[in-house]
Amino acid sequence: MKLAGNDMLIQSLINEGVEYIFGYPGGAALHIYDAIFNQKEMQHILVRHEQGATHAADGYARATGKPGVVMVTSGPGATNAITGIATAFMDSIPMVVISGQVQSHLIGTDAFQETDMIGISRPIVKHSFTVDHQSNIPRIVKEAFYVATSGRQGPVVIDVPKDLTNPDDLFDFNYPDEANIRSYNPPIKPEENQIDRVIEALKNSKRPVIYAGGGTIASNASNELREFNSYIKAPVTNTLMGLGVYPGTDKYFLGMLGMHGTYQANMAMHNADLILAVGARFDDRITNTPEKFAPRAQIVHFDVDHSSVSKIIEADIAVFGQVKDSLKSINEKLKLESSYFNKDRFSDWHNQIANWKDAHGLNHDLYKNIDDKSPILPQAAVQQIYQTSEGRAFVTSDVGQHQMFAAQYYHFDEPRKWINSGGLGTMGFGLPSAMGVKLAYPDEEVICITGEGSIQMCIQELSTCSQYKLPIKIFNINNLALGMVKQWQDMNYDGRHSSISYEDSLPDFSKLVESYGHVGIKITKNSELKQKIEEAFSINDRLVFVDIYVDPSEHVYPMLVAPNGSLENMWLSKGKKT
Amino acid sequence: MIERQLTLIMENKPGALARVVGLFHQRGYNIDSLHVDPITDFKPYEFIERELNIKFQKNEVSRLIIKTTVGDTLMRQILRQINKLIEVIAVSDNDNTYLKGILRDENLL
Repeated sequence: MKLAGNDMLIQSLINEGVEYIFGYPGGAALHIYDAIFNQKEMQHILVRHEQGATHAADGYARATGKPGVVMVTSGPGATNAITGIATAFMDSIPMVVISGQVQSHLIGTDAFQETDMIGISRPIVKHSFTVDHQSNIPRIVKEAFYVATSGRQGPVVIDVPKDLTNPDDLFDFNYPDEANIRSYNPPIKPEENQIDRVIEALKNSKRPVIYAGGGTIASNASNELREFNSYIKAPVTNTLMGLGVYPGTDKYFLGMLGMHGTYQANMAMHNADLILAVGARFDDRITNTPEKFAPRAQIVHFDVDHSSVSKIIEADIAVFGQVKDSLKSINEKLKLESSYFNKDRFSDWHNQIANWKDAHGLNHDLYKNIDDKSPILPQAAVQQIYQTSEGRAFVTSDVGQHQMFAAQYYHFDEPRKWINSGGLGTMGFGLPSAMGVKLAYPDEEVICITGEGSIQMCIQELSTCSQYKLPIKIFNINNLALGMVKQWQDMNYDGRHSSISYEDSLPDFSKLVESYGHVGIKITKNSELKQKIEEAFSINDRLVFVDIYVDPSEHVYPMLVAPNGSLENMWLSKGKKT
Repeated sequence: MIERQLTLIMENKPGALARVVGLFHQRGYNIDSLHVDPITDFKPYEFIERELNIKFQKNEVSRLIIKTTVGDTLMRQILRQINKLIEVIAVSDNDNTYLKGILRDENLL
């Protein structure tokens, strides 16, 4: 079969099983867009800004486990995609970004809409390809998908000069069955003797904690992790990226750990004698001061990425390989020794943790307050959303206080349901990522918990939701300020609130969304919280934007004391430290 | 902190060198000196061909020699980060050699 470059590119994507392309056309991508027009297998979703395309593809990828696909033009199209690519890179999300480029003979001449996309994106991609000849397109696409989805996953850029997609130049098209890159072999089977060492360490432990992160979700190892803990029955904490990989309502679950982790999770980590890190990378939001991290713990680290192990915290036992394979092989052995880990083995440790939880655990009943004399607490809003959606929704979020409240009070029992920008912390992520999730799962409830600061960073996508009829629910935790910045200014800058207020410039969000054909609901009182959130969930054919006015002075607690603090040094409420 | 020499074997492709140099800056390491040339004599690298079951062709791969001044822990981190680059085939310092997917506690390059 002979095809032109543009058709080769599109046919290759079809061969990869791509359902949706999130993108925005432009000069250098015109030939490619003509090829998109001439096919029916994939749907192109026209966003309103290329950042929205990358976040939508990212949300799709996080929810489904399949790579998200983005198409942008050269120059500003490419640079607008950068924030979304960096977001995917930091959270190891599989994504393939195809960027148009000016014609080959114009490269390096400062041509119209020319930018060095390979150069600009280099530090934030797993790998990138420049198409140098049409006949290489099938191989490059195959390799791009392989690299993006194998090993430690990540975004891959393919830069395509316009002349190489010219519809008049035909070449043989043979799509390869598999990619073979001789200088790329992602780690394979875990080493047997390391697995044995882990079991030995478990047998000698009195205070173990399982600390599971996003890598466990990326590896689709949630069932293996649950099986693992069905044998050893240890307390489990999840990172922000790992929420849902272990059931949030399980009796052994401690909640999230780290900067805004629960008291019991941070105390358990600090006092543990064995930490089993599973697909987690000891990020600075987790460790606080690395020198003071878990002073009595032996560290076991399961990871697919060599360079993540002993990067921040030295591992005593390292198990390289896909977390799923490693857990499978440890489960095989534990199955034979399950009597060893009888249910009382760690009972003292579980009692100690229960005492910590009783002393300073989170209050999950705040939503029951219907007194209108006090303002709505943001925590109560999230709790009510959790109650009404019965904990079963996909929840995307943006970045700031609302994100932390959502992570603390929405309990995820399944992986891939909590979609947020953990590593890069990208405001504007929530709405477009919810679009990607809704397209992947049109019959599921998809919620975006956002703030009035974050939502305005990609608010143009309300229009995309209108065009493609995406009935997502947006809950705007509106505290009239950039709440997390304000909290830090309260705590570290004597309350000098520098540039966190919009004064009187906020739009009437209800009117704004109604102008796109969506439904707007405003909540200002505790007594109407339950009823109006239920009203929002009763509307399933249109996008609903619920603007919830909350207490502007509320802070997120617990909060690790920094700098120079350990995991047991926390602020528990205003003015109260551990 | 001592000056160390790293040897890299990598695909001779456009942009590959920039990924290595960029990585040093991105991760906060400094390059003291850098030498790069295409490999014409593969005799010393036959073990790579054997281990990875590949055959090198003339001018297909380059050798980079980088000098940098760092401590032990950072050195290990640099090696692992470099080994992650898709186009790098092998990297070694005085103590460790990393081939793709294979780690050796000896200097092989």
